[in-house]
Amino acid sequence: MPSSSLYVKHRRPKDTALKFLINAAAAVCVVTLLGIIGYILFNGIPYITWKFISTPYSETNDEWKGILPMIINTMYIVVITLLISAPVGISSAIYLTQYAKQGRLVKAIRFTTEILSGIPSIIFGLFGYTVFCILFRLQTSILAGCLTMAICILPTVIRTTEESLLAVPGSYKEGAMALGAGKLRVVLGIVLPCAMPGVLTAVVLAMGRIVGESAALLFTSGLSYNMPKGFWEQIFASGRTLTLHLYQTAREANSPDAMNIAYATAAVLLVLVFLLNRLAGLLSRTFRKG
Amino acid sequence: MNGIITSAEREKKESKIQNGKKGLAAMAGLISVVCFFLPYITFVFKNTVYTVSAFQLATVKGFVVRGPELTGLVAVPLLTRIAVIAGVVLAVAGVLLIVFNKPVAAGTAFVISGMTPLIVLMSASAIQEAVTQLNISEISVDYLWPYIYILLGGIFCSVLSLWVRGTEKLAESMFLVFSCVSVGSVLIITIYIFAAGAPAILQIGLGNFLFGATWNADAQQFGILPLILSSIAGTVGAIVIGVPIGILTSVFLAETARPRLAKLVHPAVELLAGIPSVVYGFFGMLVIVPAIRDFPPFRDHTIGDSLLAAVIILAIMVLPTIVNVSETSLRAVPQSYREASLALGATPTITIFKVVIPAARSGILAGVILGVGRAIGETMAVIMVAGNVANMPSLLGTVRFLTTGIAMEMSYASGLHRQALFAIGLVLFVFIMIVNVSFTYISKRGVQMDAE
Repeated sequence: MPSSSLYVKHRRPKDTALKFLINAAAAVCVVTLLGIIGYILFNGIPYITWKFISTPYSETNDEWKGILPMIINTMYIVVITLLISAPVGISSAIYLTQYAKQGRLVKAIRFTTEILSGIPSIIFGLFGYTVFCILFRLQTSILAGCLTMAICILPTVIRTTEESLLAVPGSYKEGAMALGAGKLRVVLGIVLPCAMPGVLTAVVLAMGRIVGESAALLFTSGLSYNMPKGFWEQIFASGRTLTLHLYQTAREANSPDAMNIAYATAAVLLVLVFLLNRLAGLLSRTFRKG
Repeated sequence: MNGIITSAEREKKESKIQNGKKGLAAMAGLISVVCFFLPYITFVFKNTVYTVSAFQLATVKGFVVRGPELTGLVAVPLLTRIAVIAGVVLAVAGVLLIVFNKPVAAGTAFVISGMTPLIVLMSASAIQEAVTQLNISEISVDYLWPYIYILLGGIFCSVLSLWVRGTEKLAESMFLVFSCVSVGSVLIITIYIFAAGAPAILQIGLGNFLFGATWNADAQQFGILPLILSSIAGTVGAIVIGVPIGILTSVFLAETARPRLAKLVHPAVELLAGIPSVVYGFFGMLVIVPAIRDFPPFRDHTIGDSLLAAVIILAIMVLPTIVNVSETSLRAVPQSYREASLALGATPTITIFKVVIPAARSGILAGVILGVGRAIGETMAVIMVAGNVANMPSLLGTVRFLTTGIAMEMSYASGLHRQALFAIGLVLFVFIMIVNVSFTYISKRGVQMDAE
């Protein structure tokens, strides 16, 4: 006889409603994500062919509707930006975690890194345009875009590297020092190798940020879609990345064919970002295990 | 005694190496000083060629330029003179300091001296501009090897002189210099945004600029009130929609979800953060805008590109930020709080809403503020869905945000119009700085609370 039981299960409508809201919110997040990814991949994947990836682009020539130049430009920007920014960012993280004593300078560095990560990319774009393109006379060029992006991703690199350097057990350092190694030797020979997966995560996260960036590159690296001729020529010339190509083709599209190019570009971008995301996840997992 | 090195010998050898480094640094520094008197920059203005040394740049009044109609004297900017003089003085100081055994100070002097060519480079564009005003378009500037030597030699000398104190000292100084890059960047960005934005505000008038209701570049009317209000409306809308969903999702992830389910939802949120903003804009343009256009109650009132579309897209874009920060702060709430509440007979749900969320509120607030920053600063997604007409904000009307105002017109603007765009950048920068500083303040307070 359940009714005579001491334990009465109360119905609490408020509780149920709140629980429902919590689950609904999580569902909204997942459904939105799946909706966006599904929509773009569904419409874009059919148009990703080898020809699409390997031919140059031209607005007039119907035979040339590929994204090869954009892929090359994106790669240039990713590589050069990382070459500039990664050494600076990793060195900053080393200084902050291994050398710095708490003081005004360290506070200033931390504060400015935080400020830097909050500045919107359009401001970086304006700044890069006035300083690198005009004052340093680089015009709109890939190099100007790289220099702008290098500042843009600095906080990402510093913060993630810092975290992984801090996670290296102090006993490793002490052990090495007890064996008579100098500080530099300890940092470069013990701490940095131990934190390597974390450092690589930082680099991959930064790559994702660069691949996805558009507003900061709009005025600095420009919108030219010419096929790159040589490395040195290209980095001093204007070139659009995949994101800017998507932006430009989507805005100018006036026929279903043109829209398909935009769909396919968006799908390529999503796949790239997805892969980078997985890579970062894998790296940080090996780091936690190690 | 062959093969055994006594400590005295070793010291002798070390000091020999040290003196070698010092000598090399001093020599390279002296070459730097000499370079200031060698041919440095070549200016070609149409047919006139000027090859000048750094010394001449500092001492001559300017260049006589003969144009087709106008002939004038183009003055050398004061900044160039100061930079050049500072460069040579610092190089001399560096050499003296290294001779008198002050390697750290010498290294600093050398590196600053090596930076001066960059200032010359920057101010050279002022000379070019002045020449362009004389109606001469054929201008070219060439930098000769002494110029490049001063740049690289300065860095070389400073590395050498720091090395005198040993590799450890050199490494520490280099790490320090690199970590100052972010401080330098923020300073330079702030200075440039203010320097580029202030002239237009002064010319238009702060009141007219901020509170002017019409933006019409052709008529030279630059009032950005509609842009400011639209940006605020868009951000508020995104926060109103995004914050409840974001906080509830973070509750789901940190509190109620089974671990296996949370493991599926968490990467989804992470991936949401990684999608490029252009892709969001593209999705909005093709799905949300048509949906708004064809939604029965809105039909005939809107073309689809609207504040509402921007709000929806921004709400999705701020979600990951809010979820991540809130989840971290929910997880940081001590387990004993929950246990105490449950022991008093509160249900798990009541515990979450009455105990856990209030305990984590400063962290959640920090997440919301970070989301506000994202929403105000977002450009490309908004540009693709908001219609970009500088109207006063209305839910179904086309609007232009501060960010999109800059991005739309930058490519073809000139004169006061272009300066006005930089001034918009300045206003946006001030907005962001307010958001940033309050975020730092609040997240610090959160940390203090946790410490208690």
